[in-house]
Amino acid sequence: MKKKNLCPRKRKGQMQMTETIAVLFIFFILILFGIMFYYKYQGVAFKEKQEELLGARAMDTTLKVLFLPEISCTKGEAEPEDNCFDMMKLRHANETFKKYITKYYFNLFSYSRIYVQEVYPEQTQYILYDKEIPFLEDGTKGWEKKEPTFFTVTLKDESKSAIIPHYGFGYVVVEVYS
Amino acid sequence: MAVKKKAQIAVTFNWVYILIAGAVILLFFIGIVVKQKSISEENLATDVVRVMESIFTGAGVSEKTKNFVDISGLADYTLFFGCSEGVTEYGISGKGKPVQNNIDPIFAPLELKDTVLVLWSLPYKLPFKVIDFTFVSSRKSKIYLMGNTPFINEFINATSGFDNIEKINDVSEIDPARNYQFKIVDFSGGQFISQGIPSALSDVDDNKVTAVVFTGQDQVDYYQKEGQMWKKKNKLPVRIISLGGERDSARFATIFAGDDKTYVCSMGKAFLRLRYLLEVYQSKLTEMKEFYETDPQLMAGDCYNYISDQGYEVNVESSLRSLKNRLDACLVNFPISYDYCTEMVGAAEKLREANANLAERGDCLTLY
Repeated sequence: MKKKNLCPRKRKGQMQMTETIAVLFIFFILILFGIMFYYKYQGVAFKEKQEELLGARAMDTTLKVLFLPEISCTKGEAEPEDNCFDMMKLRHANETFKKYITKYYFNLFSYSRIYVQEVYPEQTQYILYDKEIPFLEDGTKGWEKKEPTFFTVTLKDESKSAIIPHYGFGYVVVEVYS
Repeated sequence: MAVKKKAQIAVTFNWVYILIAGAVILLFFIGIVVKQKSISEENLATDVVRVMESIFTGAGVSEKTKNFVDISGLADYTLFFGCSEGVTEYGISGKGKPVQNNIDPIFAPLELKDTVLVLWSLPYKLPFKVIDFTFVSSRKSKIYLMGNTPFINEFINATSGFDNIEKINDVSEIDPARNYQFKIVDFSGGQFISQGIPSALSDVDDNKVTAVVFTGQDQVDYYQKEGQMWKKKNKLPVRIISLGGERDSARFATIFAGDDKTYVCSMGKAFLRLRYLLEVYQSKLTEMKEFYETDPQLMAGDCYNYISDQGYEVNVESSLRSLKNRLDACLVNFPISYDYCTEMVGAAEKLREANANLAERGDCLTLY
């Protein structure tokens, strides 16, 4: 009689144990799913943040270039001319940028390429600054993405006539690397 | 009876087991929440300083504009600004990584706590535009102006909308109200210094009360509250290196700067930029000379004489060279050599004169 009574109890206990293990298993599976989902979400969020930062850096760098005293048009004590580059300065600014790139200008433009494309009267390209992210040890290029921004500018050239300055136009391209 | 006891133990054990498991799970989630909270605060601090960086870039290049930035989300945090060895550092005290900037001259109080940040920029010219100075202040950073000089009215008009600037005749007129920090700017020689801290400010923290005293046309002294007395922060008077005139950014900067060291440090950034800018202008001058030298008729004219050092006494070439030499002397051991920088003013004035002479003629190329 005792044996008959004990068997169903043992089975009930075994079932309870299996039930607990199953619940724990499902619980951990859910936790694992949660961790995987969170990890994936973090990865996507990180990429989005990187793109956002790159865009912001591109805008900031463009803004800095447009107001650079090294190339902007001035007229004595008066306000500088907006969105205008002085060709007599522009033609030489890159030498200074290159000379002091590590000392100073890298902190201003970071990893980027900045050039002015003249559209009228000629089609000359003036590279102002070019600093690419160095190649990796395995020989692959150091950057994944390049964000270009364009801005139209007037190009004042006084070297053609002292009385009436010649105005051309072009656009400035600022490419930032990430 | 024995069966009942066993059942009782089993039920109790189950409840204990559930309680422990529940507590562990709860602790796990509380841990995640706490961790996330600190991560979010760090992220917020990083985001804020990044946004501030962008705002400073925008404010720095948009000349003469005033920006009022709502930072009510940071009302509980203290922003700090500092500058040493040519690098400005700013961020949220004790949170995140501060931003380091070795390009833009930023003149700000050493600490700020407010809901609205006031940003303003003015170009620094010596004699051509060198860089934009960014001034940082806040509504609760009260500035009291004392003395009788036209500059006070100019300053008040230029900073209209700041709502933190007040002209007073005597320090007894000071009412602290609910402001965070106080700065007394005196143009009448600083007689109030010997009287000690004004009674209205005696209970305010020492680091929140400062004074700037103009002791001459182009020099200032910085003071800090120390108990009930004023402590002078600079050993030698801090010289203002500028060409004067209206909207003199170097003079304005003395008022917004936290102390003498941050002022000199930020001025150093401007001088460093001037060094590189001078090279570009030197190249432009060479091109200008070549323009006139190609035509003997042009070379004999007034324009060339104002440009070349072989021409008139006040000419662009020698003034530019002189400015460069004086700048080199100024930067040779900066900031110890800061006082040598005053010698640039004379050379810059001559360059301005030579450039004005060129501009006056109407048919000459100008340097700037």
